[in-house]
Amino acid sequence: MVPEKELKENLIRMHDRRIALLFILPAVVLFLVMAIYPFIYMIYTSFTNLNLSMSGTGQFIGLSNYFEIFHDPLAMGSITFSTMVLLIAVPIEMAIGVLFGLLIRGLKGERIFRLLFLISMMIPGIVFGISAQMIFNYLFGAANYFLSFFGVPEIAWFGHAATAQFVILFLDIIQWTPFIFLITYAGLLSVPQDLIDAARVDGASRWQLFINVELPTLKSFIYIALIIRLIDALKIFGKIYMTTWGGPGMATSSWSFYIYKVGVSYGWDIGYASALAIILLIVSAILVNLLIKVLNLGETLELKREG
Amino acid sequence: MNRKTTRIVLKVIRYAAVTLILSVFLFPAYWIIITAFKPMSEWNTWPPHFWPYHPTLVNFAVKGILPFLRNSLVVSSSVAFISAAISLMAAYAISRYKIGGTALAGWFISMRMLPPITIAIPLYVIYVKVHLLNTWLGLILVYLIPAVAFGIWVMISFLNEVPRELDEAAYVDGATRIQTFRYVIFPLSISGVAAVIVLSFVQTWSAFLLATVLTSDSAAQTLPVYLGRFVTGYNIEWGPLAAAGLITMLPPIAIGLIFQRYLIRGLTFGAVKG
Repeated sequence: MVPEKELKENLIRMHDRRIALLFILPAVVLFLVMAIYPFIYMIYTSFTNLNLSMSGTGQFIGLSNYFEIFHDPLAMGSITFSTMVLLIAVPIEMAIGVLFGLLIRGLKGERIFRLLFLISMMIPGIVFGISAQMIFNYLFGAANYFLSFFGVPEIAWFGHAATAQFVILFLDIIQWTPFIFLITYAGLLSVPQDLIDAARVDGASRWQLFINVELPTLKSFIYIALIIRLIDALKIFGKIYMTTWGGPGMATSSWSFYIYKVGVSYGWDIGYASALAIILLIVSAILVNLLIKVLNLGETLELKREG
Repeated sequence: MNRKTTRIVLKVIRYAAVTLILSVFLFPAYWIIITAFKPMSEWNTWPPHFWPYHPTLVNFAVKGILPFLRNSLVVSSSVAFISAAISLMAAYAISRYKIGGTALAGWFISMRMLPPITIAIPLYVIYVKVHLLNTWLGLILVYLIPAVAFGIWVMISFLNEVPRELDEAAYVDGATRIQTFRYVIFPLSISGVAAVIVLSFVQTWSAFLLATVLTSDSAAQTLPVYLGRFVTGYNIEWGPLAAAGLITMLPPIAIGLIFQRYLIRGLTFGAVKG
């Protein structure tokens, strides 16, 4: 009698599986057709000299495109600026994002401050570009106006490498610090109140409270925010397109922006752009893997429950 | 007494720091807003005008913005509805049947994190061949990727909160799995679906890179691409540009703030509930 029951259960399970497959199918097909297929195609084009502005191109040239990257000073310049975004802008975003949460926690008006702070995260990067064009304008910009109070002569912000880089990093910080805040503040709210009260009763200072009580809970939130931010920082594009166009020289050209220039705006050199894009894809894949580990999917998806 | 004074001083410092941070962070948005209402004579002044002395609405009659507005509306709303349907179904399969396990979930995460330029390059070549360049359909298809990858996480964390006992009860009553989905799960997850619809809408609305690569004129170009064209050249018309920027940034701000909770879940793959 037992086998018959088991058989029935197996049948139900098979049926469930088929329904689940049916439900997941549209998403899987979408990703296969619109992302995986183009990637495979791009691996192929990265081994060719395909150039859309020249006929008769598209021959197989092996790894030449990949070797070219190492001899390309423009590519190296783009790596430098992308690294600057990762090593300067992201840490500042992390610091201010966490700090702002701690600052407003328990203040009167906390909800309003929180709402106001989140606004710049919702603004499209392209609109930030317009704003920066006006604020950092050489002749009429508010930035130069503020600096004139301190006796600083007008700065041609977009004319020098260092100041142009400052503008792009500044915009990135303005746009993405609220994202860090959003996540770490949620972490801050999840710290059990009785733990905080207990620490207060024991006479812990604000700093001790942060290090010993809040930080341990915050840690996983900080990791998640940091890794997502690192991956997203590799994509910086719209603000550069709208303000500096990667210049002066290559000072503010990110890896993404350089790929765009090579592949689309000047040259249609798809072969070389593909090789550059594959490198970017590999770097972000490594970071995404790290993210998946930190996210602890088994738990967030409750996969274990029915294990 | 001494202790009380320090506490008050600390509080004042905190308020001052919050005010300072907020003024810096809101300044770019503020500048867009005031410039949108400035007449031409106030666009370029020294010292700059920190509010419009003679506010005007004339900038909002931007010439030629309508086709781009139409393209943005068509593409964003199509992506919004289609992605909500696809992600609700996928999330149901993952939440209830655990299909694909962590491997599939990981793959979906990587789809969300893709650098758009890596898709733009091969897709441009492919679109040339299949004649999808500069079309609504071409844009809708490609913007479904981030929208679905985002929506799945909002929906999963939502469905995980719908008690499983309800599924079981419906099943015991003789409902098929499809009926359970249609009559039990779907009505209960309607607010999650609404969140995915509006968040996908603004996400597509704000997107720039793929739209600028895959379109070439007013037949399909979206608002951000239009803004990008506007800003090049010498005599930039700041007023109309800022007005168009204001129109572009208002929907994302409003919807983002209203749907914060869902936004956090989608952005962190359900790891942070918010």
